Amino acid sequence: MARGLLQRVISVLTYIAKRLLVAVPTLLAVLTVVFFFVRIAPGDPAQIILGDQASQQALAAMRHQLGLDQPMVTQYVEFLGQVLQGDLGASLVTRQRVWSEVAGVLPYTIDLTLTALAIGVALGLPLGIVAARHRNGVLDYLARFFSLTGLSFPAFVSAILLLLAFAIQLRWFPVISETRSGDPADQLRALALPAVNLGLIMVAYVMRVARSSMLGVLGEDYIRTARAKGVPARVVIWRHALRNALIPVVTVVGLYLGVLIGNSVLTEIVFNRPGLGKLIINALNQRDYTLLEGMMVIYAFFIVIANLLTDLTYGLIDPRVKHP
Amino acid sequence: MKHGFILTAGAIIGGAWLAAAPAQAETVLNIGMQAQDMQALDPHKASTTPDKAIVGWMFNGLVRFKPGSMNPDTIEPDLAERWDTSSDLNTWTFHLRHGVQCNNGYGELTSDDVVFSLKRAADSKTSAYSSDFAGVDSFEAPDAYTVRIKFKQRPPNVLGLLTAYQSGNIVCKKAVEKLGDDFRTKAVGTGPFAYAEYTPNQSVVLTANKNYFRGAPKIDKIVYKYIPSDATRDLAYQSGEIDLIYGRQDQTWAERMQKEPHTVVDVFGPGELSDVNLNITKPPLDDLRVRQAIAYAVNRKELVKFKGELTAREAVSIIPHDYLGTDENAPLYPYDPEKAKQLLKDAGHADGIAIKAIQTQLSTMLNTMQIVQAQLKKVGIDLQLEVVDHPTFHAQIRKDLSQVVMYSAARLPVADVYLTQFFHSRSIVGTPTAVTNFSHCDMADKEIDAARGETDSVKQKALWKEAQDKLVQQVCAVPLYEQLQVWAHRDKLNFGYKLDASLTLGPLINELTTLQQ
Repeated sequence: MARGLLQRVISVLTYIAKRLLVAVPTLLAVLTVVFFFVRIAPGDPAQIILGDQASQQALAAMRHQLGLDQPMVTQYVEFLGQVLQGDLGASLVTRQRVWSEVAGVLPYTIDLTLTALAIGVALGLPLGIVAARHRNGVLDYLARFFSLTGLSFPAFVSAILLLLAFAIQLRWFPVISETRSGDPADQLRALALPAVNLGLIMVAYVMRVARSSMLGVLGEDYIRTARAKGVPARVVIWRHALRNALIPVVTVVGLYLGVLIGNSVLTEIVFNRPGLGKLIINALNQRDYTLLEGMMVIYAFFIVIANLLTDLTYGLIDPRVKHP
Repeated sequence: MKHGFILTAGAIIGGAWLAAAPAQAETVLNIGMQAQDMQALDPHKASTTPDKAIVGWMFNGLVRFKPGSMNPDTIEPDLAERWDTSSDLNTWTFHLRHGVQCNNGYGELTSDDVVFSLKRAADSKTSAYSSDFAGVDSFEAPDAYTVRIKFKQRPPNVLGLLTAYQSGNIVCKKAVEKLGDDFRTKAVGTGPFAYAEYTPNQSVVLTANKNYFRGAPKIDKIVYKYIPSDATRDLAYQSGEIDLIYGRQDQTWAERMQKEPHTVVDVFGPGELSDVNLNITKPPLDDLRVRQAIAYAVNRKELVKFKGELTAREAVSIIPHDYLGTDENAPLYPYDPEKAKQLLKDAGHADGIAIKAIQTQLSTMLNTMQIVQAQLKKVGIDLQLEVVDHPTFHAQIRKDLSQVVMYSAARLPVADVYLTQFFHSRSIVGTPTAVTNFSHCDMADKEIDAARGETDSVKQKALWKEAQDKLVQQVCAVPLYEQLQVWAHRDKLNFGYKLDASLTLGPLINELTTLQQ
C-alpha cells in the first residue's frame, strides 16, 4: 500500500520535472520574440526618460548609459547571457533590478487572482449545479441572467460602481487603500472590493461552464441508470455527476488563471492597486525594454505553471488519467 | 492626614489630566496626482508634470519667479540675496544668503554646492536640461558665499535660466555624492519640504523643513498620492481622502468641480500652446498659398469653444502669450474659408488636396486634430490622420516622418526659448542639433540670433516681434489655442499667494501655505 503511494508520488514528481524542463525552451522562445519585438517597435526610451526638452547630447548619453547604442544582436547576446545566469537585468527607467520590481507587485497580483478565483469557484460551481438541476426553472433563469450581466459588464465600470456604493455611500472602505502598509488587516481591507469585482466576473464564467457541463453529464446513460435504481437525487449529483462535470470547469479555470493576471489591469487601475498587469502596461508606455522582457518571461512562466496545475488537477479528479 | 491624601490624589489626577491634553495634531496635506509612479525627484532629470510639481516644493534657485507668477520682469532673489554684472553683461556675480540649510541633515549650503549643482545641470551625462547652459564659459566660487558665472554666449534672459526651474534648481553636493543613484528618488535640496518616504506606485511623503530660510512651513507633511485613474481620483476627493487634486484640462471637469461644496477650482498658466507645424520643404506644403489656405481654414474660436472657455484661450502668436517678447498682436490669419478655397484654386488644387499627418492617440490632442480635420475638409483639404500611441508619435515626428505635426508645449517664458526650439534652423528634426523644429523654417534665424545677443531690451523685443511676424506670415505653423493648467482644492487650503501661473505646472506649496483643520 505504502509502496503504491510512493510510486504514485514519484511518478507525479517525474511528470512535473519533465513538464518544467520542456518549459525552458518555451520561455527562451518567448524571451527572444519579446526582445526583438519591443526594440523594433517605434519609440525611444531615452526620450521618454529625459523628456522633450533634452538635447541630442543628453539623449545620446542616456542611450549609451542604457546600452541601446549597441547593435541589437550584441544586446541580445549580452542579455541572454545574463538571463541564463539568473539575472533579468535592470529597469531602464528606475534602474531597479527587474526581479525586485516584479517581486514588489507579485504578491498583490497573486492575492487578487487567487481570491477572485476562489470566489468564482465557491459561488459559481454551486450556482451552475443548481441551475442545471432546475433547468429552465426560475432559479436557472436568474442564474443565467446574472451570468450574462457579469460577462457583459466592463470590469472598470463595475469597479467604479463598487467604489461609489461601498466607499462613498456606505463608507465601509476608503477609496484609496493603503495596500503597502504591511498590516494584514489593511491588506484584507484593500483586497476586498477588487477581489469582489474580479470574483463576480469569475462567478459568471464558472457558472456557465459548470451548468452546461453538468447538463451534459446529467443526460448520460449511467445517470439514468442510477436514477432508475432509486439513488436519491442529491447522491446522483454530488457523488456521480459532479466529478465528471468538473473536468471542463477545471479546464476553464486553468485557462482563465493565466488570463486573469493580465485582465486584472482595469481593476488594478481603478482600485489603485499595484499589480503585474499595471506594471506591464506602464513598461510598455515607457518603452522600458528590460522590464518588459523580464515580465513577459515571468508571465509566460506563470502560464506554464497554471497549465501544469490544471493537468495535475485532472489527475486528482479523473482516476483514468495516468501521468506518463 | 485624610485631607492631605485627598489633596495629593487630586493634584496627581489634575496634573495627569492637564498633561494628557491632546498634542498638536500634525497638519497633513493629501494630494492626488494623475501618475502611475514617480520617475525622478532629481530636478535635473525630472521631466514629467507630476515630478516637476513636487520638485517645485523641494528646491530653490539662485533667483525665483514671484510665487504664483511666471513673469520674468518680477524675478526676485532666492538663494542669492543680490547680484551684480560686469559692464559687458557677460559676467554675473551672485551673493548667497548665509545660513541656508540643506535638508535631511546635509549642512549649510555654500557656493561649493551651487557651483556643483550648476555644473551638474550643464553636463549632458547627468542632466536632461544641459543645453540650457550651453552658452556658459565657467562657473566659479571665489569664496564660500559668492558664485560667479561667465558667459561666452550670453542667453537673452540670464535670470530666467537661474530660477528654481529645471537646470536652475540647486541640489546639495554632499547628498548627491553620498546617495549616488538613490538621488533619483531621494533628492535633497534647500526647499520648504524635504523627501521623507517613497512607496512605489503609491505615494511620496514630504515633511516640512523647519529650518527653511523663509520661515517654517505651516503644513507639516505632504502626502503626494499617485492615482492614475481620473474617476478614482475624483472619488478620493469626494470622500475627503485628498484635499488638492490634479484635474483634467477639460471644461466639463472644471464646471463639475465648481459645483462641489467647499471647493475652489484653480485654472492657471502656463498656457500650453498647441501649434500645427507644417513642413515647408515637402509638397504640397512647400507652396505658401497652400499653407495660407490651411491657416485661413482653421477656426480658432470654434476650437476654444469646444475645449471650453474656462480652461482654454485663443492663441495670439506662434509662441504663447505673456512671454517676454511675445507679439500680442501677431498678424495671424483670420478665419476665412472662402479665401482658403480661393488660394487652393490659385495653387492649382481646385479639386482639393490630401495631406498625411502622424497623430498621437492622446485624447486631448487627438480630438483637437479631429476638429481641425473637419474644418479643413470644408475647404477641400483632406487631412489624413495616422493615429499611433504617444511614445511612437514622439519618436516618429523626430525622425521627420510627418508633414504636419500638432505639438503642445510651454517653455521658459522668454521668447528666445520657444522660437529657438521650434523655429530656428539649428533645431530642425533629423539634424545633430535637433530639438523640435518640425517646420524646417529658417527665415527668422537672423532675427532670433540678433535678439539673443541684444542688450537693449526695446530693440530685443522689436527683433523678437519681427521674427514672430515673419514666421506667422510664412505659416511655419498655425497656432490654435493655449490650454491652461487645471487643479482644484478644498477651501480649507490656502496657498498663501495669488495663483496666476506656475512654471512647474502645479501650485507652489511653501511656507505661506496653510491648511485649516
